[in-house]
Amino acid sequence: MDLLIQLTLNGLFNGAHFALLAMGFALIFGTTGVVHFAYGPVYAVGAYIVWALVALAGLPFWAAVILGVAATAAFGVASYLFIYRPFEIGGSPPFVVLVASLGLFIVLKNLIGIVFGTDVKTVDSVAYDVHFVGDAFFTTVQVGQVLAALLVGCGIALFLRASRYGKAIRAMADNREMATVIGIDTKRLSILVFALGSAVSAVAGSLVLLRDGLNPNMGFGAVFVAFVAVIVGGVGSLRGAVIAGFLLAFVQSLGMWQIPTEWQNTIVFVVLFGFLLARPSGIVRRA
Amino acid sequence: MSKNSVFAALLLGSVFAAGGAMAADPEVYKIGGIFAMTGASPHYGKVMSGGAQLAVDEINAKGGIDGTKLQLVVEDHKSGSAQAAVAGMNRLIDVEGVKAVLPSFSTVTLATMPIGDQKKILMLNGGGVSAQTVGTSPYMFNIRSMASDLAGGIAHRAADQGAKKLAQIAIKSEFGDATIAATTKAWEGMGLKMVAAEQFQADAANIDTQVAKLRASQPDAIANWPTTPQAGLAVKRLRELGMKQPVYCMEWTAEDSKVAGKHAEGVEVVTDYFAATDENPWSKRFAEAYKAKFGDMPDFYAANYYEGVYVIAELIRRSKAKGGDYYTGERLVQALWENPTFDSVYGKTLTFRKNGVAQKPVAVFRLENGEPKFVKFTSAE
Amino acid sequence: MEYLAHVLVMVCLYGILATSFNLLIGFGGIFALAHATFYASGAYAAGILATKLGIGFPFTMLAGMVVTAAIGLLVAFPAMRVGSHYLVVITLALQAITIDVLMNSKPLTGGPDGIPGIPPVSLFGTPLNNPVAFLPLAAVMAALCCAVAWRLGASPFGRSLRAMRENEAAAQAVGKNLVRMKLVVFALSAGLASVAGSLVAHYIAFVNPESFTIEETILILAMVILGGMGNLWGSLAGAAILVLLPEGLKFVHVPGDIADMVRQVIYGVVLIVILRLRPEGLFPETVFRPPTGAVLPTVPANGPVSAVVRAEGAPGEVVVSAKALAKSFGGIKAVKDLTIDLRRGEIVGLIGPNGAGKTTAFNLLSGFLRPTGGSILYHGRDLTKLKPHEVVTAGLARSFQDLKLFTKLSVVENILVSLPRQPGDNLLDVYLRPGLVRRAERENVARALEIASFVGLLAKADEVAANLSYAEEKLLVIARLLATGADVLLLDEPLSGLDTGTVERICGVLRDLARANKAICIIEHNLEVIRGVCDEIVFIDEGRVLTKGPPDTLMRDRELAERYFG
Repeated sequence: MDLLIQLTLNGLFNGAHFALLAMGFALIFGTTGVVHFAYGPVYAVGAYIVWALVALAGLPFWAAVILGVAATAAFGVASYLFIYRPFEIGGSPPFVVLVASLGLFIVLKNLIGIVFGTDVKTVDSVAYDVHFVGDAFFTTVQVGQVLAALLVGCGIALFLRASRYGKAIRAMADNREMATVIGIDTKRLSILVFALGSAVSAVAGSLVLLRDGLNPNMGFGAVFVAFVAVIVGGVGSLRGAVIAGFLLAFVQSLGMWQIPTEWQNTIVFVVLFGFLLARPSGIVRRA
Repeated sequence: MSKNSVFAALLLGSVFAAGGAMAADPEVYKIGGIFAMTGASPHYGKVMSGGAQLAVDEINAKGGIDGTKLQLVVEDHKSGSAQAAVAGMNRLIDVEGVKAVLPSFSTVTLATMPIGDQKKILMLNGGGVSAQTVGTSPYMFNIRSMASDLAGGIAHRAADQGAKKLAQIAIKSEFGDATIAATTKAWEGMGLKMVAAEQFQADAANIDTQVAKLRASQPDAIANWPTTPQAGLAVKRLRELGMKQPVYCMEWTAEDSKVAGKHAEGVEVVTDYFAATDENPWSKRFAEAYKAKFGDMPDFYAANYYEGVYVIAELIRRSKAKGGDYYTGERLVQALWENPTFDSVYGKTLTFRKNGVAQKPVAVFRLENGEPKFVKFTSAE
Repeated sequence: MEYLAHVLVMVCLYGILATSFNLLIGFGGIFALAHATFYASGAYAAGILATKLGIGFPFTMLAGMVVTAAIGLLVAFPAMRVGSHYLVVITLALQAITIDVLMNSKPLTGGPDGIPGIPPVSLFGTPLNNPVAFLPLAAVMAALCCAVAWRLGASPFGRSLRAMRENEAAAQAVGKNLVRMKLVVFALSAGLASVAGSLVAHYIAFVNPESFTIEETILILAMVILGGMGNLWGSLAGAAILVLLPEGLKFVHVPGDIADMVRQVIYGVVLIVILRLRPEGLFPETVFRPPTGAVLPTVPANGPVSAVVRAEGAPGEVVVSAKALAKSFGGIKAVKDLTIDLRRGEIVGLIGPNGAGKTTAFNLLSGFLRPTGGSILYHGRDLTKLKPHEVVTAGLARSFQDLKLFTKLSVVENILVSLPRQPGDNLLDVYLRPGLVRRAERENVARALEIASFVGLLAKADEVAANLSYAEEKLLVIARLLATGADVLLLDEPLSGLDTGTVERICGVLRDLARANKAICIIEHNLEVIRGVCDEIVFIDEGRVLTKGPPDTLMRDRELAERYFG
């Protein structure tokens, strides 16, 4: 029973992390249609910048996060303007853009190794506590992950619903051509979602810095989880992406209750497989 | 062509052939390294190549081998790609003309070993620990204690300290599999109970599930088998989840201390662990030189490959002393078996056993303030 | 020398992988990213059979091909149900499961350790245990695999694949069995990929799970995209570039332990730059031009009616009889009670307001939707349970309001691909009876050109469909419909959006078809046209038939005039 509670809690915390990653990716992919594979290393770059600001520049963690998030947003925008935009103008098919993104992935990942070194990066200046529910434990960082997912999720939802830009983003996600026809500046919106999505990933990255530490290869798993969550959630649906993020984490955690853990990936993907076959358009279907 | 000229040609040919056999010294002795320079875990490549390069530089600074310099040629196996490793191995032999190669990672060693065997190239592995690399080729040597050997030592240490129920956590890798199997055998051989063995994929996003299951099995002690830096991550998680049981590892580097932070305190490492100590001046000299060059303290991977270069240099020196066509893999191996004992940066000497695995002093270390403190020597088997 | 040979062996192996992958994604348009699974399956089959059972090379490869083709069939099943991004995720999932299975099935696969000590290929008693000796074998196998792939790409089956890629619904509507095609192309692509697997296993003498990860699939994908989708030479070039580039970069001297990371950065930048310069890949899609040149001179410029096969049977005979058809979508009844008869030599106009259920009626008749009630009898045979391609084969074909042309295929290919019963659609015939396929193809090309001539598109026969004018597109839709050989033709708005000249031309074609004894049904809004060509009008609204009769009678109907004609 204790194990079950612990596994549920783990699912919740990791779900929050996955949900954050998925939200950022969903904003970019859902709106622009770019399979932004380099989302992974951009997220890693964000976390490394936060690390550098804390460990090298001696900034307080919160200040580092703010600067890091801003820098990551800029990075995301640069990747759009310098890599994807030219392909977009040229009308390249999506899979060409994907391979270009793969090129960017390789470049960024190795640049991280060159610039920051290949060793694991951690910060020990930020102390945090361990809490317990009955016999199950969790840390303040994990609570932070859930709060961050909540705040970011609500913030983005509010932004998409209430603001002028948010509505335009939704229109563009719905139908890009129609959006252009009614006079929406798709380039400007693409810049905006790349900034937003990358910023969200940097929030997730900052918390992972505290929780697990950083390595140059951390981006691959992140973009994989984000991509899977967005598809399972239903392309274009932020809500679906969040739900799918949690779903993945819960399956990954609770699925191992009675099953040897070396089959973790298999369990997750068998569930995913069955799910997509049964519901081929994702959790949240779009009209 | 007259008979005479045929005879002359033959004579000339045999003179050239003999000249080849006399083998003047090469311009430079190239030593190959096949390391994880990119991919999922490039840090291994950094420390391994760093250790080896340091040894090369030191030997060259002292005039190389009778005036001929050494050169390290590094090939990237992208953190475990067999194909990249084979390409690198072929390039080392074919393009660079190496006679000795330092491979790393068990799978890479397994993939390149047949080429080494066929081409008669001395291979000295200081990273991988799979038992499959042992005893399959006369050219294959290991300079690191095998997982199966260390596991026994750890089982005994845990039992000595009163543990009855042991739980294991490991990566799903050749290292993890080999270690779990060997430890289970040793532990259950003492009539004790193994309560859990959890594994995770090397690229797993997190290991919380595995740790939770470990905790639920209520062990007296935990055998922590992940490699760097997940070893440190596992310790951090175990401690964060309130587990106060003793933790034993066989691989622990400065990276792990960094990741685990304060939670590393009291963790025990049973291994041919490299630690710079006052009793062993070479270890101190090496550690200082390494730190001066790379900014970090060396871990045992750096030490193994550093030592590996010294072993190879010594073999070349011995082989050369005997003359003839001395610079071949065959001659290097021959030189090794003539006297399988070498100075070790770990302290005293290392000796290659009949199966090609070097025997080094194995010790128990306890982590205090992130630094390993020597507790006692123990038997590997 | 050995190093160079090794690199070339790798080019051969990746050449096999990339060309076989191109069949799936470039020709079939199926983005199933599990190619490393097929590669792994071939390699492990060879490793296991050779080390555990002592079986030798050609047999390990053949067994691997069979096993892998079977796995390919398994992967094909999700591809039937989901497309695009969903298929990508599902196949990536399969890929992850593959690695788990290889890692965890230790007794069979050796687990993470893999399988060492796989014996080398032995030819005429000589073991091919070094790169130089192995290279000729690798080159021959690569050439063979490419030949197999090329033959498929150039065959009528390849054409059908490309049609399926362009538009699945349209491919079904011209009688293509998509299920069969997907199964075949998956099995073949997987089987070819497994050849590379067997070769690599015997060559490196070692297999381990890490050699077959998702990254490997992504690498092969990059080769295909870089070379150009739908171009097999491009895949070879892509494979060569992505194998040679990193090896070449090894000769670029970079000091320090970051050298290989710097080289990877250069590699990534080069990849992006190549794509920037050639956004469609290095090579454009291969054009497999049907041999029109030999036939063209013999085809009359404006084909007579005889170009169309006259349907057998007496004029006026009821061919299709649909009774009380009903279809509801989750409670909404799109069609409630639709009864309609189609007769030989007659043109029926289906009219009604928007949302009346006209297109739904076509979808029901043509098998694209399964009715929730009622029956469709064609010559007394029930069609309601048939799949769209079976309905076409039976003799009932339909067109789409949004045309759904195979835009990247030429005019004559659009028609060719629609011709029924082609031996070249059967891969066994493609490989084993090339003579038969070639003869049939020549006859089919002649026939396709006659049809093109009949609708007046002969001059544009080799033009790519994407370059046609709207009027020509509409004519091509009719040509394609004719090519199916069906005697019942359902045309969804064949005349909308055309100038009067073209409308007259198409009306003429329709009348000719009726004269050739076809049963025709058209959806149309233009009353003048309907009056001009239709023998009967069926007026439907809210999913049921309101009234039917000859055009002149119906148009005098006052109530109808108010409801529909305003």
